[in-house]
Amino acid sequence: MRRKTSLVLLALAVFFAALSPLLRWYAFPRLAKIPANEYQHMVLEARNATLLDYGTMTAKKVPKVTIVQTLKGNVEASEKIERTAGRDVVVWDGLSYVQGPDGKMVSKVPERYIFDAHTQEPVHAKGEMVDGDPVKREGLEFKWPFLTEKRDYEYFDAQARVTAPIHYKGTQDFRGVEVYYFEQTIPWTRVPFPKTMPVKGITPETVAETGTTRWYTTVRKFWVEPVTGAPVYGEEIHKEELRGGTLLGGREKVTAFAGHVKMREDYIRSTVDLVRSNRTAVLLMTSYLPWGFLALGVLLLSLSLYLEARGRRPGEPEPGRSPAPEPVTA
Amino acid sequence: MRALVAATTGLAVAFALVFAITALGSPTGETSPKPLLTTVPPHP
Repeated sequence: MRRKTSLVLLALAVFFAALSPLLRWYAFPRLAKIPANEYQHMVLEARNATLLDYGTMTAKKVPKVTIVQTLKGNVEASEKIERTAGRDVVVWDGLSYVQGPDGKMVSKVPERYIFDAHTQEPVHAKGEMVDGDPVKREGLEFKWPFLTEKRDYEYFDAQARVTAPIHYKGTQDFRGVEVYYFEQTIPWTRVPFPKTMPVKGITPETVAETGTTRWYTTVRKFWVEPVTGAPVYGEEIHKEELRGGTLLGGREKVTAFAGHVKMREDYIRSTVDLVRSNRTAVLLMTSYLPWGFLALGVLLLSLSLYLEARGRRPGEPEPGRSPAPEPVTA
Repeated sequence: MRALVAATTGLAVAFALVFAITALGSPTGETSPKPLLTTVPPHP
């Protein structure tokens, strides 16, 4: 009986010991992924910002500009792309809706971002766009990969439609969560006008006829929780100018927008809570379970060896064998 | 010999379990019916 128990314990020890690396290096990379049906929104605000009044074509100080950013996973589109891409793909249809202090629309920029559900690497397929313009993204956008490293990454800038490095600037504590701080600077770059303008009758084409161009610069800051790769907080020091052309009435340039954009407080709290719970789920697969299973495997192996050793103690007959018969003498 | 069989069984079951779980994956679900927002939501 003791022998049988030690064999069962040995089988269990090998089972758990094998499960440990399999879970971490085989199952985790295949199971950890962004769900295709994700839906999330974010509100960012720029207080005491400068905003162009298109009626007078002058820049004015306004109390608040609000940016509502929605990301919606398009399951049907992702399944269609997966058939040819041969990997798990996520398609995010996004909208950045900018609202002025009077509640009126300032701009709205739709985009479609297609990426690998596991690695967050961009996937190029028909439909990938920013504001209706086809783009071919390189680098990240919105989210970092699981188990983010302390290094620079490439990050796609949707305004300028360019990819530029986003630099790792150190590890910080953000509301009790260890985060990696990343920063990207996009120098003054000429960018297209949004397809939807805030004044009726004005289109990017009519503005282009005046010779006026739109320029933009930003300093983008992200605080990223490294286990999940999810940003828990973001800021942008964002400036836009209109330059040249007849639209400005002889002026060289006018500020279209200038503001320090920050996440709204209630969204920061909800993001931190969400990331904390997701972090636990990822750690379960990358750390808690693999180490737990390994420890259990070692414990069971020790127990199995102990039982085996006890079963073979010298002086005791081996189980299942009867004592040797006494010699018979006449 | 019996110890080897026991160890091999444990190993095989571990591989089978992990392969089965990863092959099953997770359901993709459906596209959310919620819209892309053009108003400021009062809360997350």
